[in-house]
Amino acid sequence: MLRLALKSVLAHKLRFVFTALAIVVGVAFVVAAFVTADSLRSTFDDLASDINTGSDFTVRGALPFADITAANPPPVPESLLDDLRAVDGVDVAEGGFFVDGVVPVDGSGVAPTTLGGPIAGSNWLDDESLSQYFLISGAWPQGSSQFALDLVTFADYDFELGRDYQVVTPTGPRTFTLTGTMQFGFPENAGVGAVFVVFDTDTAQQVLGFPGEFNQIAVRAAPGADIETVRDRIETVLPAGTEVITAAEATEEFSDAFETFIGPFQTILLVFAFIVLFVSTFIISNTFNIVLGQRVRELSLLRSLGATPQQVRRSVLIESLVIGVAASVAGIGLGMLGALGLEALLSAFGAELPDGPLPLRLRTVAWAFLVGIGFTVAASLVPALKASRVSPIAGLHEDARPDAEHLRLWRSVLGAVLGAVGLVLVGRGLFADFDSTTAQLLSLGIGAAIVFVAVAVLSPLIAGRVVSILAWPLPRVLRTPGRLARDNAARSPRRTAATAVALTIGLALVAMVMVVGESIRDTFTDSLSDAVRADYVISTDTFSGVPVTLAADLQAAGVAAAVGFDEYPAQVESPLAPGRVDDAELTVTDLSAIDEVADLGSIEGSLDGLDPASALLVHRDTADDWGLSVGDAVTVRMASGDTLAVNVGAVFDQIRPPFWDEWIIDESLHRQTADADRFDQWVAVNVDGDDPQAARALLDEVLSAYPQANLEDRQEFQASIESDLNTILALVNVFLLFALVVALVGIVNTLTLSVFERTREIGLLRAVGMTRRQLRRTIRWEAAAIALYGAIVGVALGLGFGVGLAVAIPDTVIDRVSVPTAQIVGLVAVAVVFGLIAAVFPSYRAGRMNVLEAIATD
Amino acid sequence: MTSSPVQTLTAAARAVAATKIYGSGDTEVRALDAIEVTFEQGRFTAIMGPSGSGKSTLMHCMAGLDTVTSGQVIIGDTDLTTLSEKQLTLLRRDHVGFVFQAYNLVPTLTAIENITLPMDLAGTTGDKAWIDDVVGATGLTDRVKHRPNELSGGQQQRVAVARALAGQPQIIFADEPTGNVDSNTAAEILGFMRNAVAEMGQTIVMVTHDPVAASYADRVVFLVDGKIVDELHEPTPASIRDHMTRLGA
Ligand SMILES: Nc1ncnc2c1ncn2[C@@H]1O[C@H](COP(=O)(O)OP(=O)(O)OP(=O)(O)O)[C@@H](O)[C@H]1O
Ligand SMILES: [Mg+2]
Repeated sequence: MLRLALKSVLAHKLRFVFTALAIVVGVAFVVAAFVTADSLRSTFDDLASDINTGSDFTVRGALPFADITAANPPPVPESLLDDLRAVDGVDVAEGGFFVDGVVPVDGSGVAPTTLGGPIAGSNWLDDESLSQYFLISGAWPQGSSQFALDLVTFADYDFELGRDYQVVTPTGPRTFTLTGTMQFGFPENAGVGAVFVVFDTDTAQQVLGFPGEFNQIAVRAAPGADIETVRDRIETVLPAGTEVITAAEATEEFSDAFETFIGPFQTILLVFAFIVLFVSTFIISNTFNIVLGQRVRELSLLRSLGATPQQVRRSVLIESLVIGVAASVAGIGLGMLGALGLEALLSAFGAELPDGPLPLRLRTVAWAFLVGIGFTVAASLVPALKASRVSPIAGLHEDARPDAEHLRLWRSVLGAVLGAVGLVLVGRGLFADFDSTTAQLLSLGIGAAIVFVAVAVLSPLIAGRVVSILAWPLPRVLRTPGRLARDNAARSPRRTAATAVALTIGLALVAMVMVVGESIRDTFTDSLSDAVRADYVISTDTFSGVPVTLAADLQAAGVAAAVGFDEYPAQVESPLAPGRVDDAELTVTDLSAIDEVADLGSIEGSLDGLDPASALLVHRDTADDWGLSVGDAVTVRMASGDTLAVNVGAVFDQIRPPFWDEWIIDESLHRQTADADRFDQWVAVNVDGDDPQAARALLDEVLSAYPQANLEDRQEFQASIESDLNTILALVNVFLLFALVVALVGIVNTLTLSVFERTREIGLLRAVGMTRRQLRRTIRWEAAAIALYGAIVGVALGLGFGVGLAVAIPDTVIDRVSVPTAQIVGLVAVAVVFGLIAAVFPSYRAGRMNVLEAIATD
Repeated sequence: MTSSPVQTLTAAARAVAATKIYGSGDTEVRALDAIEVTFEQGRFTAIMGPSGSGKSTLMHCMAGLDTVTSGQVIIGDTDLTTLSEKQLTLLRRDHVGFVFQAYNLVPTLTAIENITLPMDLAGTTGDKAWIDDVVGATGLTDRVKHRPNELSGGQQQRVAVARALAGQPQIIFADEPTGNVDSNTAAEILGFMRNAVAEMGQTIVMVTHDPVAASYADRVVFLVDGKIVDELHEPTPASIRDHMTRLGA
């Protein structure tokens, strides 16, 4: 039986390749996801251990809640340095800074950019190994007017030693002389994608805004001292609100921090991989079904010669196993290529990864084989079962027979049950409350998968009729070839349905993304015009934002209003709801001016005369949820540990993330906490209406000192948000394209098999005078009809899912359902073109058939 | 629509020193050996001969389904050996009818659609009255809307003959059209073909192994080893058997 299975694979190499191709793409996706993520991990793990090679401990402010990816630890007092140096077993202790958003401006007024890496202000230490900052050329900066720059930025932006440059610091733009270049850690880290601006320690304290403080203190233990003992001793001198972590813990924390980016990246790729594999399953199952249908005679001969049903079943499963193994191996190869491509893409954006072999871990290989073989064998289970049921005297053609009545009933019932289960799961995922996002997404994903399976089960019931209807113009436009194309597409509903379902899934997802994207876009556009009143919006690509001095400078220059907004993680409590603690995104802004740049909707209480030192604005839904009304006391706890006692000053009903969220306090109050980072996420600006050009010129002048800031008027801002959104949607669709390509392979596969099956019929048509062109046209439009059917079903499903999602997503993100009709129609057209492309190979083959040989086949 | 370059002449088709060689060297098979044969218009010719004598090869080469290695094949006054693959296809569509032993019909098309298939492919409507006559002659007028799988083998073959007739081709070739059916059905098909020649003036060339079938023809041509060895006019089953025995000896 093994020999038979292998023979069967070898006898149809092409079919084998096509069948395997679908799985290869899926496996490659899995491999590329793991390999790229592992490669990123190893880069950052190396970096993490490099950073901490020179020190044994880090002392810093403790975060009572939130972790370092969400909030900056509060600073520690300078005085702590002497206490630490006095600890028995401590060799060296130095204070350091690392503040994101300190931007050097090059000779032509340009600010360097990174791909999400920090643009950081820091300080050098005498003990270079403690900070891992090494001087490369020139001298370390001394005094309040000098700085050093990292080597890569220095070279990339043509800085020159000895020249004066402007650096935009949290305390405003200042001029410094560039005295030297430096490098962080080891040469391999040159491309970590960060920019370092280095001052001496005193200067750093002043310009970064931490007089008498440090971000953290690096400590090295005396040689031979026991780390744990020293740690315990350090802890005895630490004031409340500070903590000590070992180098190992710091390394792990750093890696974990990056894992919060790498993990989701890997997960997203894996999700796409599973979509592709899921689609592949249908294609493989369909191929096996057709092939076994064509082999009924051979199978029944085997059975009559004494092969047991188990043996037949086993031979099919072995065949699928062979395909699965081969596809996994090929998929690993292709996946490595894909990972190379992804790395090239990442480095094109500036995130250079280390040279050397890509990390192909055992876990990756194991997954590749698991999914490769698993999906292939799973796909062949039903066909294998059917094959083993072939009776020894079966001779009739399997697929030409439509479902018998009881099969149709069985299909309807099974399809309806699956559909109901899937829809319930999807509905639950959309509307029920979940503890974790993962559980919610799983419910959605599994539900959607079951719905797709239900569609695959039900589709043969309608495929024949629907295809006939959809393809009605074909006979009219293309006459006989069109007529034959339509009939061929409709003649085997099961096959047509199974072929189309791969396309259905791909297009359903694309259509869903389109609807959600369009809805977000429309919501956003409208909210921008409804809620944001500012004439201009200033934002920046760095994570930290623009220095708070920008808003002040604008006000000083005489703009009508310049209001900064920023957001911080916080916890909220209230005596009205004892015991309840909510995590919150706390918006920090200028309460006295917010009304001028933002429309908070209908207000309970008043925005006038609020006491900035104690006022808290709360969104209506949140206030209702807590039972809060104007005047009620609320305690806000910051990530630094500071607690703010505030009262509800007003209740508003318009929230617009990312501009402002449910809780708002005044910036002057926030500035009293150790949390304050001296940056604004964005600044809303109003200008006087009389002379727009003069107003713009004024803004440009102030902003020339802040080259990292993007000034956009309402239209520009809207356009740039839309283009960001479009980029994300395009990226998602590119990945979904892989599912469509797999679907394309599926159509090629089915058509090739169908053409093979109809060899004699094709020979006959050619014999009675059908030209090659007409024959190719027939096959092309058969494919197009199948694709159109798949597309229509897919788009219908996708619209359903998309509308469901748009309704379920909170109103603050999506408050309406918008259907991009033109895009959806375009999508269907693209699917038809896909079908036409898929037919190129099968129709070429059909055209090349020798008429006489074709007629002679049996 | 393009039409093929054939004009009408009294000799519907001719083979001139037509030779067909399969393979080469040791495995060379001379399926047609400089064969000379003429099929006149309005005549029903039967071709007989032992298995492997080249009957099917002759049919295929004459119908433009295959090409000869050397010599000429002429339909009307067109030399098939000068035609391209595309021209051959159009010639088959417009000027030649062909009936195979089995599987003559496209399963997705109804009987009448199968009958008009060559004309539909050409984008012409054909001669409506003639087609009605042909359909009438098949005796299947009430079944023309049925698909092939709803017709008996004999009915299917009659539809196939009707298709060959429908376009009023120069000549019709039929390779063992009754090879797959019982003798009663064979009689139906043969009678139909006989009438098409006698009453509609068609030209038919038919390969058969059956002396009774051959006796429906005006003339029987005997083929051995790719050559015409004998012929017989106004044959009867007995005279054909007689000839066969002599040739076999
Ligand atoms: N495609 C081919 N390749 C090689 N040889 C062939 C091919 N087709 C036919 N032949 C050979 O040519 C010779 C004539 O074959 P042909 O099919 O014309 O015989 P036939 O008279 O129709 O026989 P039958 O009565 O069995 O149908 C035979 O020897 C056959 O083996
Ligand atoms: Mg023959």
